[in-house]
Amino acid sequence: MDLFDKLKQLREQGLDEIKKASNEKKLNDVRVELIGRKGELTKILHSMKEVAPEDRREVGQKVNELRDLFNQRLGEAKDELVKALIQKRLEDEKIDVTLPGRTSALGSKHPLYLILDDLESYFIGMGYKVVQGPEIETDHYCFEMMNLPKDHPARDMQATFYIDSEDLLRTQTSGDQARVLEKHDFSQGPLKMVGPGKVYRRDDDDATHSHQFMQMEGLVVDKNITMSDLKGTLDMIAKHVFGQDRETRLRPSYFPFTEPSVEMDVSCFNCDGKGCPVCKYTGWIEVLGAGMVHPNVLENAGIDSTVYGGFAFGLGLDRFAILKYGIDDIRDFYTNDVRFLKQFRKEEN
Amino acid sequence: MLVSFNWLKDFLNLDEQDPKALGEKITRTGVEIASVTRPADGLKKLVVGHVVDCEGVEGTHLHLTHVDVGEDEPLQIVCGAPNVAAGEDVIVALHGARIAGNEKIKKGKIRGMESYGMICGLQEIGFSDSVVPKKYADGIFVFPKDADVKPGQDVYDALGMNDYILDFDITPNRADTLSMEGSAYEVGAIIDQKPKIEPVVLKEDGPDWTDSFDVKVDEKLAPKFYLRKLTGVKVDESPLWMQTRLWNAGIRPINNVVDVTNYIMLLTGQPMHAYDARAFESGKFEVRTAKDGEKLTLLNEKEVDLDPHDIVITDGEKPVMMAGVMGGLNSEVTDDTTDVILESAIFDPTMVRRAAFRHANRTEASSRYEKGVNWDATEKSINAAALLIRNEAGATVDEGIIKATDAKRGPVVVKTTVSYINKVLGTKISADEMLHIFDRLNFDAKVNGDELVVNVPNRRWDIAIPADLVEEVGRLYGYDNLKSTQPLLPETHGGYSEFETQMRRFKRIAEGQGMLEAVSYSLTSPEKAVSFTKKAKALVQVQMPLNSSRSTMRQNLMTGLVDAASYNFARKQMDLRLYEQGRVYDHEGGTFNEHEHLAALYAGQTFAENWQHENQKIDFYFVKGQLTNMFTALGINENDVIYKADEAIPGMHPTRTADIYIKDQYVGMIGMLAHSLALADKNLRGHEVYGYELDLDVIIPMLTHGMTAKPAPKFPAISRDLSILVKKEYTNQEIENVIKANAGKYLRDLKVIDVYSGAHIEPDKKSLAYNLTFLNEKDTLTDEVVTKAMDQVTAALKEDIEAKIR
Repeated sequence: MDLFDKLKQLREQGLDEIKKASNEKKLNDVRVELIGRKGELTKILHSMKEVAPEDRREVGQKVNELRDLFNQRLGEAKDELVKALIQKRLEDEKIDVTLPGRTSALGSKHPLYLILDDLESYFIGMGYKVVQGPEIETDHYCFEMMNLPKDHPARDMQATFYIDSEDLLRTQTSGDQARVLEKHDFSQGPLKMVGPGKVYRRDDDDATHSHQFMQMEGLVVDKNITMSDLKGTLDMIAKHVFGQDRETRLRPSYFPFTEPSVEMDVSCFNCDGKGCPVCKYTGWIEVLGAGMVHPNVLENAGIDSTVYGGFAFGLGLDRFAILKYGIDDIRDFYTNDVRFLKQFRKEEN
Repeated sequence: MLVSFNWLKDFLNLDEQDPKALGEKITRTGVEIASVTRPADGLKKLVVGHVVDCEGVEGTHLHLTHVDVGEDEPLQIVCGAPNVAAGEDVIVALHGARIAGNEKIKKGKIRGMESYGMICGLQEIGFSDSVVPKKYADGIFVFPKDADVKPGQDVYDALGMNDYILDFDITPNRADTLSMEGSAYEVGAIIDQKPKIEPVVLKEDGPDWTDSFDVKVDEKLAPKFYLRKLTGVKVDESPLWMQTRLWNAGIRPINNVVDVTNYIMLLTGQPMHAYDARAFESGKFEVRTAKDGEKLTLLNEKEVDLDPHDIVITDGEKPVMMAGVMGGLNSEVTDDTTDVILESAIFDPTMVRRAAFRHANRTEASSRYEKGVNWDATEKSINAAALLIRNEAGATVDEGIIKATDAKRGPVVVKTTVSYINKVLGTKISADEMLHIFDRLNFDAKVNGDELVVNVPNRRWDIAIPADLVEEVGRLYGYDNLKSTQPLLPETHGGYSEFETQMRRFKRIAEGQGMLEAVSYSLTSPEKAVSFTKKAKALVQVQMPLNSSRSTMRQNLMTGLVDAASYNFARKQMDLRLYEQGRVYDHEGGTFNEHEHLAALYAGQTFAENWQHENQKIDFYFVKGQLTNMFTALGINENDVIYKADEAIPGMHPTRTADIYIKDQYVGMIGMLAHSLALADKNLRGHEVYGYELDLDVIIPMLTHGMTAKPAPKFPAISRDLSILVKKEYTNQEIENVIKANAGKYLRDLKVIDVYSGAHIEPDKKSLAYNLTFLNEKDTLTDEVVTKAMDQVTAALKEDIEAKIR
């Protein structure tokens, strides 16, 4: 057999072996056998001296061609093998993407604080300071400074938890008004504050009463504050919380610390004013109390009520939350049932 | 006050007014009208019947009657009421009638006897038990003789049910509307009409009696005290027109004397009292405070021990009435009363209020006295009452009023300006418009330039200062007519205090860690108030708690979260992550102190239950890890935080609880709930509950704002492991202290990577492994430096805590 036949045979045999190699190791063995330093092609090159000189050039050419071919096929075969390997691995790694994920706990604000934080940032945006006062309050600040002297019949409206004859759990956040009024320096600018916090009343707990709840007090005092300003401010709050399409109205009311005193109603967002159980078929829902600061409250704090005046308002955060989230039992806020609380994880804030 | 629309028509022309719309108008302008109801609503086919004959049915309590209902033949009706009798005019529900509760009446058979309707009691047609005259409480209603009723006519007009009742839900300042005349003034102002208020013309036909009584009244207790005497009174049922007005106002008719006093109170707002003159045979009448030990049985048959602060009326010796609250049984007007003393007085409002409160006996009278009454109505009321008793009970009115005290109160004059009122309201109401508003109120007002002078009559005692006039103008001008404006003010800088801002960081981090925010009650039991608390302080307790479990202000937040855990476990909610931020309260050092705290409670698994069973029970170290993260997020240097085991915190597990110190200050605790506590509360049994509580008042002042960033390290770190064997009693903290003190300045991080005690080592020993990371930020660290540091560490561990290096 001459070299040409040998090359021809090697070509067929080599291509066949490349094709048969089933893994990278075997393929490598084939590569060594065919084109390695001691491989078949090298052997042929070493046997060139036996070739007639006129044929040497052609044999050399054929050998190079065959090496190139083997290299190319070996490369292709290797790519195939890797591809198959990856394919297999991917098959093995396949998961059911529809199985549920592992969830860890997701936190949330309490609904009362959702309402409070929202209102606070709204007021902060309008230039109000957020002020905190003591919950254990004196009769002096909670009542007397607020124009509610002892034996004032309006004290009947508030069942108070007294600790001793002078100290009590505040029934309203209004005491914060008195404290701030006493301290405020009007030469530094007008007074604009909100005072949120817990308050307490001697009421038995039921679906609509709670011995503890949360209020927010607002107070604006300067030289030229009008009741129209109060109306405009309350209107903005009500629309912010209950929707821009709500209508509002003021009704006369009575609070010892304001004169005139009003209550604000918002058109019922459940029935849009047509009448339903939520608004007790009146079309209106009472949301807060307000008024022009009573001159006695200003004078009690050492402020000249002939020069300064302003408005104050007080709103119940529990009531706001009840109305906004459609809650029908105030006790839900204080039992901390996680099934109740978890609902508020999706509330934007 | 329940105000009858029909009665209001005595004073105002209401032909153009729809009662419901009027109610709404009053709500918007004056006093909240809680409801407008028509008593006849929902009723049908109720007519007057005349009982023609009535026979008892043997062996039963029933009567077989024939009742003329204005048809050709009388109806046969079987009636079970004990007081049915021939000759009576009664209420008949015909076949097809609707009575109270939307109940339908049909003809039928009772014990085999045909019955073509039902004879009704007042309750059956919707009257409240509290207004039905005692006589008819257990039977049918019988029209009084004077009632102008004919068989077959509807009963509604005769019984006052064809009326609208406006429920004036007054605020305490508007007690002036607790009378028909007061309501008429208010409604008149709203609809711009002058009410017709009639004067009283009384004929006195008896002798002058004013010298026949010795009356002593302390003016401080009763600044006005008027008496009249009537003789020859025939006590009987009141005429139906008066009864209907009383029951429509929610008052039970009693007899023609007592009813008149109530009627006049409704008319003028002045509480009245009628005594049987026999109670004053002594010829003496005294108003004084009660003496210790005195007792009085009131008209409601309640015997009260009088308090020295109660005002009483006496016969010179013993009390016969608790002034302003309720009469005594010993001076009651009864059927055999012939001579009556009428009282119209003003008592000290505070003393009346306290007496009514003290004896839990608030009445129509006391609630009016405590809110104030019209000082101009005393005489008119006593005369009007005398006139009515004269007319309705055939009495003779003795000449003269005894005015034992007669303090005067003139109209209040309030001076202000038109511009002040406009300035407060933000309006431009003209002086003429304002004068018109005061005219609607029947106030005498004058304008002189800008100056406004208003004479406020005594019937509006709520008005005393210019701000009160602002309200009157504002509400009648109409709050709807006010503009909606924003205060025009120099810019103010809003925001939270520094403390509040920091507090919000804690809350945000807790929520980011997957905690649900809880809000608990501040009031708890005295025991719970100081559990979970390292050092109990003086308690804050309320005087009249609603119950013992809500009597004491909490000194820790954990107790509320544990209550929440119990509540949730009982509802099969086992995975809990709750936090609360709120205050704790104490009375340490004689002052009331409030501190802001934050507490967290964990129970259950780290992940929600999953099909891979990849989970871990929440344990001490999980919770401590969460707290560590919180401290990191707050910028607290971990080296400043020290945990020290504490066996003595009540309610906490003695060997799984630690005090937390930051920069050597106690800031709170972390640990597991004690088994004993868990065992006491059935719901908590079998659960491992962990938590921590922090005192924010201590931590927040340590926090700072802002930070300076460093670039990521440019040189590689070198890390070495170290495994040691030490006696069990050494804590990780102690070992770490030794390592940190000796590892040199390049130690960046120290981690515990293994803890072991058990079969393979001596029983009193434990093995710990640490990973130490060294880094020089300015240069490449060499092995020699690290090896030297490790040598120093191992030497110190051997020396200081007898550690064996493994």
